[in-house]
Amino acid sequence: MARGLRGIARKALGVARTPTYYLPWLTRPGLDCVVLVNNIEARFKPEHNRGPFPSSVGQYDADGTLVQRYPVSLASSIDTAEVHLRPTPAGFGFVTVDVSHIHSDLYTTLSDGRYYTATHGRHEFVETYPAWARVLLAAIGRLLALGGRTIAAFRREQYVFVSGESRSHLLVMNLSNVVNRIRVVASRDGRRLANRLLVLPPMGSLLFDVSQLGDAGAAAPAVKHLHLEGNAWFNLYLVGAGPRDLAGPLSLMHVK
Amino acid sequence: MSSSLSALLSVTYYEPGDDHLIELVHQRDTAGRRRLASLAVEIYAPDGEPLGTVDIDARQETLDLGELARGYLGRRSRVMIAFDARYDERIFPYRPHHYGYLHRRGSAGPPLYYAVNATLGGVPDRIGATGINNFETYLFRTDAGGGEHSLILGNVSRFSPTTAQVFTYYGEARLAQDVTLAPKAHTEVALAPERSGHRLARVEVKALFRLATYVVGRHPEGRELVLFDHLFTYFK
Repeated sequence: MARGLRGIARKALGVARTPTYYLPWLTRPGLDCVVLVNNIEARFKPEHNRGPFPSSVGQYDADGTLVQRYPVSLASSIDTAEVHLRPTPAGFGFVTVDVSHIHSDLYTTLSDGRYYTATHGRHEFVETYPAWARVLLAAIGRLLALGGRTIAAFRREQYVFVSGESRSHLLVMNLSNVVNRIRVVASRDGRRLANRLLVLPPMGSLLFDVSQLGDAGAAAPAVKHLHLEGNAWFNLYLVGAGPRDLAGPLSLMHVK
Repeated sequence: MSSSLSALLSVTYYEPGDDHLIELVHQRDTAGRRRLASLAVEIYAPDGEPLGTVDIDARQETLDLGELARGYLGRRSRVMIAFDARYDERIFPYRPHHYGYLHRRGSAGPPLYYAVNATLGGVPDRIGATGINNFETYLFRTDAGGGEHSLILGNVSRFSPTTAQVFTYYGEARLAQDVTLAPKAHTEVALAPERSGHRLARVEVKALFRLATYVVGRHPEGRELVLFDHLFTYFK
């Protein structure tokens, strides 16, 4: 959908955008997730470097429920709070961080106790739709879903790699208060491999194994091009997995 | 070649045994899925010796660094690979990046996706970091799950050697070390995981100009990369 048309649609639907810093989270048995809240990048800015800096981290589960809110206070701009996230049965989702007093990139880390992988979050926004718009989008979405389609309001393009020794998963995050139907189309060398329609609850997330989209990969990594389109604002992180897939160590990485 | 094209110099490092692929197509959205105008790849030994320059077909979607570096590695444990790209500025929304994927063959660890360090260039009026970008910071977990870390530093300058200052922080203590690099030279600097009972909390790198810097974590047994991340400049 063209940017101008999307803006008009957003106004017509009464969509509000709340600036939000968010990061993905992921826990597994033997794998813990810690978010590093800090204000280090603001330490040389007089208007931003005088603490304390109050903040909070809200942990949203895969089904969109708020698992827990963690209050945080940084004593100074060189202080770091390590927030250990609570494991849940689903074991993934995203956190939002109150950055009204913070001006720095924040990190999320996955550790198996011996080493960790890390990535950073995004300062973007969460979309809030009024009740009537949610009902309207749900009705249209269900109708289009019959044909495996969705309202292509937002699009993303992504390359992923799979091989016999490694797997890649998408951690797709619905950054809105409506049900988000996201269509994923995989192709390779211009040839379409497969497509799926993912359904995410409001503020919910989904972990999707891209090897389900045809061509599981041989010894050498196979590249796939993914095209994603959804009816509301969403983003994704890439989850890398070794030969034990989600039962082994994992990595997380932001994309464009 | 059109004079309206922008330039970007990105840098990564290749280690033998890795599957390591780089995206060459930059995808802002479907309509903006455009290819680079040109791409030349340069390969350098740790002492800065130029090992080769390869013109890449910019129509390729991805580039296999293992295949590319095979003829240049010799017994070296790492080579620096510089991507000298020309592109239409409409490709990038603001700060351009190549994205990469790497995984050590046979490793039980996960593959890593990462943003290749966009060391020089870009579209000036779209780059958020209009201030200093040669003073970078990275934070570490200080609990038991920390692991061991290092920095890989590379000097992309054509003629000028440089001395980078690396500061590490442990509790209240700050340690400093100087690292001098000849043009195109690169090195890995180990960061002590602990000092006087305090874990490594932060690293800073200062240099006269931006270096091709990555924070590295390695698997305790196989020594393959388990963390390969860019540092952060300060608040823009």
